[in-house]
Amino acid sequence: MELNNQYWKGIEEAEGQPEFVQTKGNEFHEALPLEDVLNATDLDLSSNRRDFLKFFGFSVSAVALAACQKVPVKYAIPYVVKPQGVTPGNANYYASTCLGCNTGCGVLVKTREGRPIKMDGNPLSPISKGALCATGQASILSLYDINRLANPLIDGKEEQDWTKLDTDIISKLGSIVSANGGIRIVTKTSNSPSFDKAVVAFKAKYPTAEVVTYDPISYSGILLANEQSFGKKVLPSYNFDKAEIIVSFGADFLGTWISPVEFTKQWVTNRNPKGGKMSKHYQFESTLSLTGTNADVRVPMRESKEGIYLISLYNELAKLAGTSQLPVKQNAELAGNAIKNSAKELFAAKGKSLVVSKSNNTNNQILVNGINIMLGNYGTTIDLNNYSNQSKFVEADFEKFVSELSSGSVKGVIFVGANPVYSYYNSAKLADGLKKAKLVVSTADQKDETSDLAGYVCPDNHYLESWGDAEPKAGVYSFTQPTISPVFNTRQAIESILLWAGTPAAAANAYEYIKSNWAADATIWNQSIHDGVYIKPSTIASVPSFASNLNEIATTLVANAPKGDEAELIVYQKVGVRDGAMANNPWLHEVPDPISKVCYDNYVSVSKTEADKKGLKQDDVINISVGGYSIKNVPVLIQPGQASGTYAIALGYGRTQSGKVGKDLGKNAYPFLKIANGTTSYNISGAVTIESTGDTYNLAQTQTHHTIEGRDYIREASLDEYNKNPYVRNEGKLDLVSLWEEYDYSNGHKWGMAIDLNACTGCGACVVSCHIENNVPVVGREEIRLRREMHWIRIDRYYSFYTPNEYLTKEDDINKENTDVYDNIRVVHAPVMCQHCSHAPCETVCPVLATTHSSEGLNQMTYNRCIGTKYCGNNCPYKVRRFNWFRYNDNDKFDYHFNNDLGKMVINPDVTVRTRGVMEKCSFCIQRIQAGKLSAKRENRKVQDGEVKTACMSACPSNAIVFGDMNDPNSEISKLYKNERSYHMLEEVGIKPSVSYMTKIRNVESNHKSTEHHS
Amino acid sequence: MSVIDAAIRPPLVTGGKTYKDVTADICRPLENKPTRLWWIGFIVSFFCLMILVASLFWTTWTGIGVWNINKSVMWGWDITNFVFWVGIGHAGTLISAILLLFRQKWRMSINRSAEAMTIFAVMCAAIFPLFHMGRIWVGAYWVFPLPNAFGSLWVNFNSPLLWDVFAISTYFSVSLVFWYLGLIPDIATIRDRATTKGRKFWYNFFSMGWTGSVRTWARYEVVSLILAGISTPLVLSVHTIVSMDFATSIVPGWHTTIFPPYFVAGAIFSGFGMVLTLLLVARKVLNYENYITIGHLEAMAKVVMLTGTMVGLAYITEFFIAWYSGVQYEQYAFLNRAFGPYWWAYWTMMSCNLIAPQVFWFKWARTTPWFLFIMSIIVNVGMWFERFVIIVTSLHRDYLTSSWVMYEGSYIEVGIFVGTFGLFFTCFFLFCRFLPVINMAEVKGILKNKE
Repeated sequence: MELNNQYWKGIEEAEGQPEFVQTKGNEFHEALPLEDVLNATDLDLSSNRRDFLKFFGFSVSAVALAACQKVPVKYAIPYVVKPQGVTPGNANYYASTCLGCNTGCGVLVKTREGRPIKMDGNPLSPISKGALCATGQASILSLYDINRLANPLIDGKEEQDWTKLDTDIISKLGSIVSANGGIRIVTKTSNSPSFDKAVVAFKAKYPTAEVVTYDPISYSGILLANEQSFGKKVLPSYNFDKAEIIVSFGADFLGTWISPVEFTKQWVTNRNPKGGKMSKHYQFESTLSLTGTNADVRVPMRESKEGIYLISLYNELAKLAGTSQLPVKQNAELAGNAIKNSAKELFAAKGKSLVVSKSNNTNNQILVNGINIMLGNYGTTIDLNNYSNQSKFVEADFEKFVSELSSGSVKGVIFVGANPVYSYYNSAKLADGLKKAKLVVSTADQKDETSDLAGYVCPDNHYLESWGDAEPKAGVYSFTQPTISPVFNTRQAIESILLWAGTPAAAANAYEYIKSNWAADATIWNQSIHDGVYIKPSTIASVPSFASNLNEIATTLVANAPKGDEAELIVYQKVGVRDGAMANNPWLHEVPDPISKVCYDNYVSVSKTEADKKGLKQDDVINISVGGYSIKNVPVLIQPGQASGTYAIALGYGRTQSGKVGKDLGKNAYPFLKIANGTTSYNISGAVTIESTGDTYNLAQTQTHHTIEGRDYIREASLDEYNKNPYVRNEGKLDLVSLWEEYDYSNGHKWGMAIDLNACTGCGACVVSCHIENNVPVVGREEIRLRREMHWIRIDRYYSFYTPNEYLTKEDDINKENTDVYDNIRVVHAPVMCQHCSHAPCETVCPVLATTHSSEGLNQMTYNRCIGTKYCGNNCPYKVRRFNWFRYNDNDKFDYHFNNDLGKMVINPDVTVRTRGVMEKCSFCIQRIQAGKLSAKRENRKVQDGEVKTACMSACPSNAIVFGDMNDPNSEISKLYKNERSYHMLEEVGIKPSVSYMTKIRNVESNHKSTEHHS
Repeated sequence: MSVIDAAIRPPLVTGGKTYKDVTADICRPLENKPTRLWWIGFIVSFFCLMILVASLFWTTWTGIGVWNINKSVMWGWDITNFVFWVGIGHAGTLISAILLLFRQKWRMSINRSAEAMTIFAVMCAAIFPLFHMGRIWVGAYWVFPLPNAFGSLWVNFNSPLLWDVFAISTYFSVSLVFWYLGLIPDIATIRDRATTKGRKFWYNFFSMGWTGSVRTWARYEVVSLILAGISTPLVLSVHTIVSMDFATSIVPGWHTTIFPPYFVAGAIFSGFGMVLTLLLVARKVLNYENYITIGHLEAMAKVVMLTGTMVGLAYITEFFIAWYSGVQYEQYAFLNRAFGPYWWAYWTMMSCNLIAPQVFWFKWARTTPWFLFIMSIIVNVGMWFERFVIIVTSLHRDYLTSSWVMYEGSYIEVGIFVGTFGLFFTCFFLFCRFLPVINMAEVKGILKNKE
């Protein structure tokens, strides 16, 4: 039906007025008041088409320019095509070799979705034996270091294309050779057969080329001594596990000396008092080293006088053996007749003893060789046939190189993994020499002092991006395989060398090249890459013939020994930072020094006696100068146990060219080093001048009280006390009444941990391991000063001071004694993490139930629920709870790896990154527990003992930490809980911790005249 | 309440005041223009209040890390201030509730301002437990047992902090209601005297239609008594619960059963200290010497001496028990308080709280206003240090010596503390300006000459 009704818009329409009809089709009937809106000035805009195009063009280009700014694109895209072998959420493990230092520890690299995120020792590796040190653990972060070079550099400018560099370098090398100029490849000690072979190819192409080995830390004293004594210029292999008596003259073999993880694994095998026997370890040293803190008997000794003490030891032994003594007027002796006593015990354990020395003086080392020969230790505790390749550096070669460089006969230098401009004692001369060279190439993967002077920087891959082989010890091959494709436009050094040697690109590929070197037996290659190591049957150790004139050496040593008691400076390596190559790695600075507990700085450590004499106090800022070099404005640390009259400063600091973290951190002590008789000397002779500046500098220490104040949460006893009564200091069984109901753990697991204070060396590997595993933030020096480090596990280090008849742990008592007492110290290291108390005091006080108890005995943190009252932290008697005072990620105030996308790649995806305002703490690595339980469930079996390892346990080189299920009666943890030495820290508080500690036993005669106990 | 006083008793209100005088005197500061002194005081207080706002903003924006508390001393100035302010509040409740029940007539001219002080002090106190939370934006309501959709997510009734939430919120609400109830008749008086429209409207609104009939007065009296009855346990419970924040923990120096009575005594002690400080100024500035007489001051001084001695007894008992317990950690905690690095805090506390109030054995000391003023400040300082000593010296050296630390407040922490004084005095100045500082209705009941 059609609508006939017509609705008018107005009377005009009805009437059909002509005006209306005319405008009917328009959108607006009325004329728009355009003239009112657009005033005269606007109307006569003289813009024409050309102007319009101008404006338009400008706008478009402006917008385009503005849009050119790189907007970060954040990808979170799942795999479209799943790579073979990668299941998102599941970790893959690859065997590789840690190149954090030159030791060559075999490692297992954990990768998640193609990113390596954690390393643990490879149990098949005879070097690491399944453990990894703090430095090695931390080295994974160097892969994700934002300060790495993204591209090669030509004269400091980035160059995307490698071919230009290669052409340049090859033509320059060619012209140098044709002008008969020398070419040198300066490399850190190489023990890679493939690299050595590549160098041979390089030398074939460039006949004037030679290889110069350069290491920042020298062991040439031992190399040259062995050359003179036995005709073999090698480092021997040491077998601390076969030694019942160990006498170390300053050698920090548990911390920094040659191969610390390997030595710790060996050393600890004889440190369990079960069965009534333990090795006995004497340490004579100037600075308190990690090894010194673990010795049974530690006596302070002036390192400059080590020679004459070695002579005394030799003579004491010769007396016992009835052989001829060395010609000295009077035998020197250390406090407590330590030399005589140790000689007696060494002699009684002939063939099962070991004398080592840190000294880099060839004569000292020859004498040590003589002592070990006399003791019959070669072939048992010392093995020259299966020698070590961990250091081959001999100063003479490098000195020759520097003078050739200065004279201009060397025109081309290629630095591979070496940074001598930083660590060479006379770096000014080296830097001057480099200016004369026509070609300087560095393979540094980030800016360093040497690469800064290099015209070409050809960044090497991080070792986790590389293929490689190494022979750290004769017959022990350890392989490196990439676990991630190169993050940046970098190239392996070996490929660079091969390409410059004219090898065709296909053959120069690191993988192809190394594989071809192992082509003789393809099965070896596949299996070795799988295992990470390949071990040739070892040669049988034998006794070498000894050919050195000890009388002559003794005369020289006596003549060179300092006559008076003038002060001396010791330059040493710190655990963690070591030689300073990884100075830009924040984990290494965040982990406190195991002895001083100082983070982020080096300092001059000095004995209490010497400090009193010079009027120095802790944190005073001084200028120190010795032998023409001086360091200004360096803080002082009073170090108990330091030999009086000695000052010490650590190497590895004061980098002038490094990333944000490492640059200008601490002071560089390398220029103090001197070469004496062809080897680098680490105890610096010459008058030590101390000049107080009147300033103070607050050293960031994580522990500022150093004694246990007579409390018995740390228990220790001597071996004979233990043999008389295995429960010594552990006798009292507390009969505690509890107000709380007991938890029922009978169903399922009950996790627990045991920590052997006797095994723990305090090395800090667990701390770094935990840092990585649990995404613990790095907070920096200022926060540590405010006592806010975030470590979930810490190692408490306690001194006790002994007088002839008692030993003191109370500060008041110590202050009453004279300062001599600071020389005679004993040290205990106690790792402390959350003790997962069954009656946890933190759980009851949380108002919102953010920390609760699990059915498996874990004390759990629910970050989401935490509101941050911090009451739990106050009520924790172990003080292991850590609060997120700030947001530590994406915060420019904490510009470490959590503040950039690259650094964040190291984050463990199984662990939450905590936000600000919440409490956190050790979780017993619950993510690892869950993973272990899941895999057991998938395979329909029970979780096996040892299957679940916490990060601290898996890192520990001394097997001091054992984790497991206490509901399994056969588990190691269950057995350890029944051990006589097992006790709980602060058991009397009634909180039922799930971590048990085991009494420290020292192999000394009892002098516990008055050990304090409370009932 | 009928007023039957012995003839030999000195009058509680002096100066031969009549009903009319009382109304005129007490309403004068409200009805006149604010004085210069008021403006100065108000502006200074308001400036301090702005420091509080800025400090709290910075803390919440950046993180609790702007304070100097650390891995071992996780409570510092914040909780010290919290307990300090809560303690101050106690005098108000004591005066208004317990003294009411005991029919102590002298309370009448001071109870209003003491109650106001309670409310402002609890407001200041509440800032600290709120803002010391790492995540106040969720914590502020997660601490209440609110039904939620997260399954079994619930608060922990074992935690003394939760008891605190209930104790403080109850305390605040009851005190506020009690205070307001007492104000109603006076507000009505002001309403009736109001000359401007605005004043009439607002005072009318807040007087809730008070007519002053016998029936309303009867109801008023009954409700007052009931509220007094409710408030009375609060005098004991609030600070008992606050003390349990410490007593139920296992920290040496905190873990003591003496804490509840000791804290309550300390709270009343500090509360009276603060009441003295305020009233000594107010009676001078507002010319209320005839209402807040020397007799009032003396009575308060006696309470201060009594509670100060109780607190001192507690200090000594703690020391004795620490020795007697034979617990090494406990013994060390107390020796460390007295002779450790914070010895100065301990001896400040001892001399201010135990030794100084003993001068009140002398009548001169109890009756000399300027001296009382100095003493009241000493008491306040002493009680702040008491809380600092309990909290910081216990935490900074507890069980494991490796975690022993030192602690000192940061600028922000000091700023927040100063700022709470700003809040307190801003509120107090506004109170003096808009509400009668003395309860007119009650004071009229104790006048001797009723004409």
